[in-house]
Amino acid sequence: MTPERFRRLTEAYGAMPEHWPLAERAEAKALLAQHDPAVLAALAEARSLDLVLSRHDVAAPESDLIRRILASAPSASLRQAPSWKRPNWWISGAGLVGVGVAGIAAGVLAISLTAPFSGSGATPPSLFDQTGESTVFSNASDWSDQ
Amino acid sequence: MNEEDPDAELLARIDGREPGAVREMVTRKLPRLLALATRMLGDRDEASDVAQEVFVRIWKQASRWQRGQARFDTWLHRVALNLCYDRLRRRQEVNLGDDLPEPVDQAPLPEDQLDESARSERIAAALAALPARQREALVLQYYQELSNVEAAAVMGITVDALESLLSRARRTLRSRLAGERGEQVFGKERR
Repeated sequence: MTPERFRRLTEAYGAMPEHWPLAERAEAKALLAQHDPAVLAALAEARSLDLVLSRHDVAAPESDLIRRILASAPSASLRQAPSWKRPNWWISGAGLVGVGVAGIAAGVLAISLTAPFSGSGATPPSLFDQTGESTVFSNASDWSDQ
Repeated sequence: MNEEDPDAELLARIDGREPGAVREMVTRKLPRLLALATRMLGDRDEASDVAQEVFVRIWKQASRWQRGQARFDTWLHRVALNLCYDRLRRRQEVNLGDDLPEPVDQAPLPEDQLDESARSERIAAALAALPARQREALVLQYYQELSNVEAAAVMGITVDALESLLSRARRTLRSRLAGERGEQVFGKERR
């Protein structure tokens, strides 16, 4: 790289090597290492403008702007997957089904325990039959003396 | 384009409605977009409106973005700049040529009165007085830190043309800022 090219490079891209074109960066650094006065002068001139430009600050985004932008994103309701795709759907559904099944099972059990058996010679006692002489437990063997 | 677009994954997460992805995109892009628009327009309120509009386009684009096309950040800069130019045209301030714009107020200030805020305002005024294409080139290359290839791609020009715009922009700024007694703006370098 010639000193002239180095000057044009810094006039366009400034003094920071990371701002120089990648393809010329190594050559420019190598030239700089030779301490040519014209090259160093070009660098110093570019650096002074870089410093000035670096003093132009832009304030961080205000929280109100951030809120407005977040609000402009697809809304929370639209962002949810359809209900049938939601992972918890089957849990609540299974819960309802489970409650129903439990209720039916309890009913069947109660009926089976209170209703007389059909097709058998003996009438089994009812769990809730407190008027008869026997209950479902009274026919059980007495193991108390064993 | 062989390099993986660093924003592609986040776009996919937004498209997949992943919680937090929207906020992450805002955190990642808003400061840069706001800085770009502020420096292009010289007006904070207008810059905020531009930034908001860009994000509306991001949300729409997330589901359509295809890997392997232009880098998302390049597209984002182009969208933001187009919106800036719309507003500049509305103001009838666009000067795509090299005609000298109206000079800014360059009344010198005593050094002790030129605090950091005043310096920043002076530089903003000098930037605003640049022809729009020169300002665009400088903002993209210096402040947004795009490579020369990326900046040229955003502007739709060759790298040589970019380099020419940059040289003229920096020359103009140097003379304009030095014109207000360069020692005030240039003189006290932070060593």
